[in-house]
Amino acid sequence: MTRSIKVNHLARVEGHGGVTVEMDGRSVSSVRFDIFEGARLLEALARGRHYTDVPQIVSRICAICSVSHSISSIKATESAFGVTPTPQTELLRDLLYRGEDIESHSLHVFCLAVPDYLNYPSVVALAADHPDAARLGLRLKKLGNTIQEVIGGRAVHPVNVLVGGFGKLPTADQLMALRDELHQAAEDSKSVVDLIASLPPADYCSKDTVFAALRPKQFGYGYYSGDQIHVRLNGKTEAVPAAEYRSLANERAVPHSHAKHSQYKGRPFMVGALARLTVNSDLLNGSVADVKQKFGLNLPSGNPMDNNKAQALELVYDIHRSLETVEKLLADGLREEAPVPVRPKAGSGTGVTEAPRGMLVHSYSFDGQGRLATADVITPTAFNAASVEEHLRRAVEQNAGDDDAALTKKLEMIVRAYDPCISCSVHLVRRRNAP
Amino acid sequence: MAKPTLGVFGLTGCAGDQLVILNCEDELLELTELVDIKDFLMASSGNDTSCQLDVALVDGAVLSQRDEDMLKRIRERSRLLVALGTCAVWGGVASLDRNQDRTRLLEDVYGEMGKKYDSLPARALHEVVNVDLSITGCPIEKDQLISAVASLLQGDPPLYPKYPVCTECRMREYNCLLIERGEICCGPLTVAGCQARCPGLNVPCVGCRGPADDANVESAMNMFGEKGIPREEIAAKLRTFAPAWGVNV
Ligand code: SF4
Ligand code: SF4
Repeated sequence: MTRSIKVNHLARVEGHGGVTVEMDGRSVSSVRFDIFEGARLLEALARGRHYTDVPQIVSRICAICSVSHSISSIKATESAFGVTPTPQTELLRDLLYRGEDIESHSLHVFCLAVPDYLNYPSVVALAADHPDAARLGLRLKKLGNTIQEVIGGRAVHPVNVLVGGFGKLPTADQLMALRDELHQAAEDSKSVVDLIASLPPADYCSKDTVFAALRPKQFGYGYYSGDQIHVRLNGKTEAVPAAEYRSLANERAVPHSHAKHSQYKGRPFMVGALARLTVNSDLLNGSVADVKQKFGLNLPSGNPMDNNKAQALELVYDIHRSLETVEKLLADGLREEAPVPVRPKAGSGTGVTEAPRGMLVHSYSFDGQGRLATADVITPTAFNAASVEEHLRRAVEQNAGDDDAALTKKLEMIVRAYDPCISCSVHLVRRRNAP
Repeated sequence: MAKPTLGVFGLTGCAGDQLVILNCEDELLELTELVDIKDFLMASSGNDTSCQLDVALVDGAVLSQRDEDMLKRIRERSRLLVALGTCAVWGGVASLDRNQDRTRLLEDVYGEMGKKYDSLPARALHEVVNVDLSITGCPIEKDQLISAVASLLQGDPPLYPKYPVCTECRMREYNCLLIERGEICCGPLTVAGCQARCPGLNVPCVGCRGPADDANVESAMNMFGEKGIPREEIAAKLRTFAPAWGVNV
């Protein structure tokens, strides 16, 4: 008997995507994670533009990850031109990423994922019965936005981040207000831990999984710094220099999706919070020592639903870490400094950072006038697409006895746990020579 | 009286303007007491996808047949249709390609497979259906969104500035990046409403809100000319967010 399951419009994810499963009796004949977004071809459109225009254009690939796109772009450009930002710039960028992560994880955990566990269609519906949980999520989300406004100049599509530094530095008043908000959030984070620890267990498709994440070089566990990618495969860690990211991205274009599929040594792999924790948890400091245990999070975990818990843990960690950074900035005082001078030259560079939903690569080459010659962007959802399909397949095999409604809900929850960003995923440019 | 019904939709874009709605953290729960959000796929899995709507908020541009069909369907079921963000109002960043060969771009990006994708040149919403209100910005400004919702609830359209970012910049007494530093700032031609956000941070305006009705294009172009900035360079900058600046080069 054949059976097919189709989700045409995935809800509570960013962008337009779906899932299609075809089964023959108990055997699964095909599983597809479909992507329906129109193609905007932004990187192709950015070609020929002056390097100063590029971050603003590629930022529009995705709103929720707009800090990551802007700064990965800047990192790639700085590496191509041999520009070294000041330590203060690097610290502020690190903080800006934490703001993005706090915003994105609060949105995903509270507004998109938790409603699944507690059987609500949305955070608004959740708010009717659990107003404290909903308000907690929104409060932390706002904090993430405040950090992005103070450092990046705007909550969505930052305008203050430049190749070489910042347009304007935050004022002491802004930092003091931020410190107060962070103190409040540190209190709130206890409720986050309690809430996430109380969620019912969810495990529909565990399997041996490969993970990949950027290895931070400074500021401890984080998302901005570093130029080595660590891959955890069969219990061992392999290091891949950022510039060799292509070994993780031997992509195939597939007809059902505008995203190409990535593999490492023939294996799909997972990126995102769970991958970061798997690869980098030795860099976490004490503030979250007991959280992993309270969440029942045993690493490595091949259960993608644990990505929700991993995000919640990062959320708590980022709050504490951001507070430390802001206190340090206030104690040391910000040094007034203009962006470091940039002398464009022909060359190429790669910028890898961790967007909230996983590793993001921008790799560029420029001509001698500083105009973009080629651009290659690989987004977390593009890295994840093959792994999503693998976990969906396992879920169908394990839960074939479920009726359609029950199975569909599980499949949707798995896709949501990956926190896909579909606007992001459709932006991939094949490396080609300058025209 | 029944609460007015609202739908929030995204065509092809970055979903930034829908995100700005979700970024109204202080107002969101209050808003749901005043309006009945019936259909908002990005935020809810319990949607009524066929009911009539009093107001539809739509972000993104039309970039595929799928987008076009979806937009027409939204138009049929909505009393008021609001275009949200520069993509919806003007075409946005993706409309950069209007004068490039799209088939070639698609092949560049996706190879042979590119030919098979459902993909059209970017269009603003008003090029496909009738639009009742436009809120521009990339992304939209939160206060303009909130005032629009408040006005629509009372039955009159909100008023937005028609003057350029330059005016806001002067009111705030920021240093002029064009005159003092000779930087290409699109403020003289871009519609205000962002409180001259970028010049306030010493960063030139890139025109993310699209053209200002009341801009004096010729005098602005002369000003750029005096600074030795070639017209083509300004025109290329301006086209980043909207094809319709009326700037001839
Ligand atoms: S107008 Fe800007 S923020 Fe809105 S969808 Fe388009 S790119 Fe995103
Ligand atoms: S100053 Fe210009 S680029 Fe900056 S937000 Fe305003 S319109 Fe957009």
